Amino acid sequence: MRLALIYSYVLVLLLSSAVLFIRSAAVSPLYPYLGISPQDEKYYKTTSDRINCKDGSKIFTKAQLNDDYCDCPDATDEPGTSACPNGKFYCRNAGHTPLVIFSSRVNDGICDCCDGSDEYDGNVKCPNACWEAGKVARDKLKNKIAVYQEGIALRKQEVEKAKVAVVKDEAELSKLQNEEKILKGLVQQLKESKERIEKVEEKERLQKEKEEKERREAVEANIVKHETNEEAKQEKSEVEKKVDSENKPLESNHDDKIGLLDDSSPNQDVSDAYDDDHQAAEAEQSITSENAESSVYAVKEHTVEDMVNSVSPKIKDDSALASESEHESQSEASPDQVTEVGNDVSKNTNGLSREELGRLIASRWTRENTEEQTDKDGAEVTDHEGQEEIPKDTNDEEYDGYASDSDDDTGKYDDNTENYDDDSMADEIDEAIEEDQDDTSSSYKSDFDDESDPSDTSTPSNPSWLEKIQQTVRNILQAVSLFQTPVNVSDADRVRKEYDESSAKLSKIQSRISSLKKKLKHDFGPEKEFYSFYDLCFESKQNKYVYKVCPYKQASQVEGHSTTRLGQWDKFENSYRVMIFANGDKCWNGPDRSLQVRLRCGLKNEVADVDEPSRCEYMALLSTPALCLEEKLKELQHKLDLMSKGQRHDEL
Amino acid sequence: MRKGMLNAIFLFVFLLFLSSQTVLSWKKDEFRNCNQTPFCKRARSRKPGACSLIAHDVTISDGDLTAKLLPKEPEGDQIKPLILSLSIYQHGILRLKIDEDPSLDPQKKRFQVPDVIIPEFETTKLWLQRVTTDGASSIVYLSDGYEAVLRHDPFEIYIRDGDRKRLVSLNSHGLFDFEQLRDKKEGDDFEERFRSHTDTRPYGPQSISFDVSFYGADFVYGIPEHATSLALKPTRGPNVEESEPYRLFNLDVFEYIHDSPFGLYGSIPFMISHGKSGKSSGFFWLNAAEMEIDVLGDGWDAEAGISLPTEQGRIDTFWMSEAGVVDTFFFVGPGPKDVVSQYTSVTGRPSMPQLFATAYHQCRWNYRDEEDVENVDSKFDEYDIPYDVLWLDIEHTDGKRYFTWDKVFFPHPEEMQRKLAAKGRHMVTIVDPHIKRDDSFQLHKEATQKGYYVKDATGKDFEGWCWPGSSSYLDMVNPEIREWWAEKFLYENYVGSTPSLYIWNDMNEPSVFNGPEVTMPRDALHYGAIEHRELHNAYGYYFHMGTANGLLKRGDGKDRPFVLSRAMFAGSQRYGAVWTGDNSADWDQLRVSVPMILTLGLAGMSFSGADVGGFFGNPEPELLVRWYQLGAYYPFFRAHAHQDTKRREPWLFGGRNTELIRSAIHVRYMLLPYFYTLFREANISGVPVARPLWMEFPCEEATFKNDEAFMVGNSLLVQGIYTERAKHVSVYLPGKQSWYDLRSGTAYRGGMAHKLEVSEESIPAFQRAGSIIPRKDRFRRSSTHMVNDPYTLVVALNSSQAAEGELYVDDGKSFEFEQGAYIHRRFVFSDGKLASLNMAPTALGKLQFSSECIVERIILLGYTPGPKSALIEPANQKAEIEVGPLQLQRGREAAVVTIRKPGVRIADDWSIKIL
Repeated sequence: MRLALIYSYVLVLLLSSAVLFIRSAAVSPLYPYLGISPQDEKYYKTTSDRINCKDGSKIFTKAQLNDDYCDCPDATDEPGTSACPNGKFYCRNAGHTPLVIFSSRVNDGICDCCDGSDEYDGNVKCPNACWEAGKVARDKLKNKIAVYQEGIALRKQEVEKAKVAVVKDEAELSKLQNEEKILKGLVQQLKESKERIEKVEEKERLQKEKEEKERREAVEANIVKHETNEEAKQEKSEVEKKVDSENKPLESNHDDKIGLLDDSSPNQDVSDAYDDDHQAAEAEQSITSENAESSVYAVKEHTVEDMVNSVSPKIKDDSALASESEHESQSEASPDQVTEVGNDVSKNTNGLSREELGRLIASRWTRENTEEQTDKDGAEVTDHEGQEEIPKDTNDEEYDGYASDSDDDTGKYDDNTENYDDDSMADEIDEAIEEDQDDTSSSYKSDFDDESDPSDTSTPSNPSWLEKIQQTVRNILQAVSLFQTPVNVSDADRVRKEYDESSAKLSKIQSRISSLKKKLKHDFGPEKEFYSFYDLCFESKQNKYVYKVCPYKQASQVEGHSTTRLGQWDKFENSYRVMIFANGDKCWNGPDRSLQVRLRCGLKNEVADVDEPSRCEYMALLSTPALCLEEKLKELQHKLDLMSKGQRHDEL
Repeated sequence: MRKGMLNAIFLFVFLLFLSSQTVLSWKKDEFRNCNQTPFCKRARSRKPGACSLIAHDVTISDGDLTAKLLPKEPEGDQIKPLILSLSIYQHGILRLKIDEDPSLDPQKKRFQVPDVIIPEFETTKLWLQRVTTDGASSIVYLSDGYEAVLRHDPFEIYIRDGDRKRLVSLNSHGLFDFEQLRDKKEGDDFEERFRSHTDTRPYGPQSISFDVSFYGADFVYGIPEHATSLALKPTRGPNVEESEPYRLFNLDVFEYIHDSPFGLYGSIPFMISHGKSGKSSGFFWLNAAEMEIDVLGDGWDAEAGISLPTEQGRIDTFWMSEAGVVDTFFFVGPGPKDVVSQYTSVTGRPSMPQLFATAYHQCRWNYRDEEDVENVDSKFDEYDIPYDVLWLDIEHTDGKRYFTWDKVFFPHPEEMQRKLAAKGRHMVTIVDPHIKRDDSFQLHKEATQKGYYVKDATGKDFEGWCWPGSSSYLDMVNPEIREWWAEKFLYENYVGSTPSLYIWNDMNEPSVFNGPEVTMPRDALHYGAIEHRELHNAYGYYFHMGTANGLLKRGDGKDRPFVLSRAMFAGSQRYGAVWTGDNSADWDQLRVSVPMILTLGLAGMSFSGADVGGFFGNPEPELLVRWYQLGAYYPFFRAHAHQDTKRREPWLFGGRNTELIRSAIHVRYMLLPYFYTLFREANISGVPVARPLWMEFPCEEATFKNDEAFMVGNSLLVQGIYTERAKHVSVYLPGKQSWYDLRSGTAYRGGMAHKLEVSEESIPAFQRAGSIIPRKDRFRRSSTHMVNDPYTLVVALNSSQAAEGELYVDDGKSFEFEQGAYIHRRFVFSDGKLASLNMAPTALGKLQFSSECIVERIILLGYTPGPKSALIEPANQKAEIEVGPLQLQRGREAAVVTIRKPGVRIADDWSIKIL
């Protein structure tokens, strides 16, 4: 049997050389070891004529190696041809980096290897472009290494700063907790005292009322007295008044809106989520005018933002329900307005026009839906009124054209790409970013809420202040300790005022404590390298949208005055290479919006390339020194060494 | 009234609001049912025997048999006779026309659909010289012993065979009715209202209805497009649940359901019957108005007292149309393939697609921008998955103005296409018939100025709502407008298009979002004062035609067009591919895709497919994988998804699923030579690529209702898996010969059902013993790059150790094959010898096609191993015989006899004798 095999093999060999000229469609390589990597050559260059398929399934002869016929199911025998569908072809690419390609690329008419070794059937000519391409790649790698080197230094600084800051935060926290304890005691004392006074007053009042009944003429005098009391109280905090008046229109807005929509739940949700902030903000209202003002700002911004966020988003859409005509006359009402009509019959008597019907039907195929639309309209009303309070676009703040060249991510859409860590891919993405003229990005200090502003609590944390307040309270309490009937009005007011102030301060301190605790609970990375992110927001403008990413808080998409929440901070993933924002605004017929931010080494913190590869699932890239890691630098340097070595070898 | 309407609107909006919560929400109420359709309601209430028309004045004129139809007792002068004519064509085709008498000056010429019957068909007309009559009937000879009979009183038409057995008949139950046009009289209310829409119906009632019977039939099939079973279920009869008739009215149905006689995107009024005798016959009514067809269950006519021959099984059907004329065709068969061939000799054979179009297509609404396109494209390479075409949906345009590009997202369309083309890939962009009413849009300006839009009932340009917002619709029935439209595809006119760009026509029912039933009002007016009601079902056909002609024009008549259309009509097969529209990602829809595609194939539409993965919704990975495994055998293989769905490119579901999808797509690429050969067969004969089992095994009753499995050509049987986590499946393998599992080579006996284990790796597929399938086992980036790759021949031997098969090859893109530039081989294995014979006529045309491709491997299934070599003639060389794997895949055992490297060229005559 063996003889017969060999016989027929020899025959075939002879014949095949005879018919070579008619076989231009299937050519065996001239170099028998083509497509084999240097490490693998040993396997093939045996003295024996017979070679095992690597999976052990079969044995083939040396003549069957690269004979353009697949003998081994695992492709062992055809490293240099396209005969086996599972094969891999190795190009040496002298002058550049060796490359392993699918065997389906061999002789397919496309030059895949820079040395052209994958195309040898004569159908195409592939020039050797390795030296040039290698040089470009090396330069690119060198640049990348430079970025890493600089980035690592920046990262070190950042880590140092973070360490100090965390210590400082912790110190502040323990100090505040101490103060809280003391202040709590004082407030409790004041409260008791106040309640005692009020009890006495109440007694007096009842007594007086009784007397009043008896002596109606004295009524007036009593009222005067009472009023004076009220006045005095108001004078004491003008700030409060101011806050009130500023808050009022917004609050009423809020109410209006609720009335209009007849559904307050979305707002409710949001305010729950921001409960802490609100409390903090409210607590500030009665302290100093300076603080009060800044807190007003915070409150207002919150209100506006919350409301905007609470409603459904303005979706990226150019389809039939295009925004252009959304605000046109009633006769051209879009389905959302039609729904409104349903709620308010008297408003529109035109009925459903043909156009409306068209939009309505179109909306089935698109993601628009009437419910969402109604909400959106509600939001837009608030938007317009709260317009001035919305912080201006920040893209003009510090535009920096630098786009990082040190990308770690090879693909944007899926996690599997790590397996295919291919430089050319990464470079393509880099280039795409560089080219993109529509993108601007910036980062700025998060004005998200008061907690990021340490000055808020600087007054209360002054120890002399605490001593002073302790002293004052002691004095007051001593002064009013002896009860008199009737109560001394000025003493009572002093107690009340002091109680109000102290409890306000207490709640301020408590809120600061809670925000500090909240902050310190976060995961800032193994070396706290992401500490500074807590106070930062990154913006990227892409076409008509501004994307706003605030790590540890939330991410949003802003178009004009409407904001869509892309997600709340969730966590880091993939060993701090991805930030996840989840549970954003709901998508019609789809998931809640979410955002994945892929991090990569760069010299500046900046977001770029925001994308929505899948409905309502967003992706973004963030360059940051925090990702410039030593190990990766070593890896890159090693790669460069290899490439340079190859080149030297080639040049020799 | 106004207030009532308003209330209705509020209710409607409210209901819509509620229903937006549900996932599947077919808007049944938006579409008319038979009871809401006056002509259908009227016709359905007619009783058998109601027709009293008698054929008078039977004569021969112009080679036709003609007669006048008059009622038995004419009432006054009211009744004008109808003119009946019978024509005979070659290959057993009878044509029956009935129309009003033009010489009596009817107030309007009733519409006869032009441009559907191909000119070549007219040349096959046999000029009648004489008619035999036995007093009661007039008889003309058809062919092969078949005769056409016109019974006079009451009139009836039927075909009988040499044994005087009936085949097909019309008006045997006396249900024929023809509403003649009449002047509007005082008190006539011609208007029809549906929901908020009013149809002015200026010409009043003009419907036509009649019964058609198929003899020797157990089932009837055809009349696409419906999402329902292959064998048509009865819609009326004593044991039939009350049902709507099958509706033929092209509609854009949102989230259609999977088992319903309601009308979908296309209408082909062609029905084919089949019965135990193995014989089929067919009937086609060329009429583009709304049609409703009842399949009548046994005993429906029990009380009618009409006696028809009872020795044969019979299926009665009832056909109703809103307007037009009777222009019908009877096909005698006798085999199912003969009927399809006869039908496509009238309406045209399916066009020959380009090779790339038969490969895998990747689509999504929408690939957002050039970067997205590049990314998706490169991912296919990264994961070594071949694909040939990347599609762009409506969002690629500048504000839904077709022929434009969104400047922000697609600033460099030509470069983008060139990059794809460099990998042998193509691009398809969408061009819909609704034109944005925007004065700055040149196309709209031109169409307005030239008066090229369809007019509303008042004569103004019709305005409807579609993707771009307010839109108008080109009047494609006018040849001048089609010419003008065709020019829009010239490279200089379609800026940003390149030779690798092809076209997708969507929404051409036409879809009008604010129109009655989401389409155009029936009283809209077309060129030549044709009412829309008269040609509605052909609107999409004309649009498809105009676009295909545009691509033809663009390529100087040398490049085969590729145009995918959603709407279709009889004849659409000449202009390209169709798909089954907006299906959903669920198992039922996977299941129904098979009968839908088979039915389309029976009606001539051989190039069809369903959206792989399901358009609406997110398929579970298992469903997606199963869909790819089935879709790989669809004639048209495209994945598509709605914009609200999650991304579902093949690599997004983890390594294992990627591998499974890749392997499913590989199956298609491996079988491309076989598919291409089948497309050519369809192009020559009309016999579809995907066939019901009974088309190949016409005498096997067990196959008549089977629409879970189907044949790809005559050699492959495919069984879909339509349930989650299936462990077993029952597969009926017809015929006396055995079947070889496509992956393992295991043989299964034919003529019985097998309970088979199901693996996730593939759906069951088998090669018929006695067949030879050509394959290409090397996978490239695209089909284009496989052109020079060698072939594998899989020879599946039958019980007498014989097999045969075909291979057709041409340049894959031009029309040179029409002049003989192709290779067509027949492979015959018998007596231990495989021979390659030339099938092309010896007197080939003036052009030639040559190929250097060789056969690298010949696999013999069902051959007992033993011989070690084979002798190749005429080269007198030897090739080694060994045991190898059936498919080159890791972990596959070597189990089949393989002739190693025969090296013979596919262009040559040769034989290989096993020694």
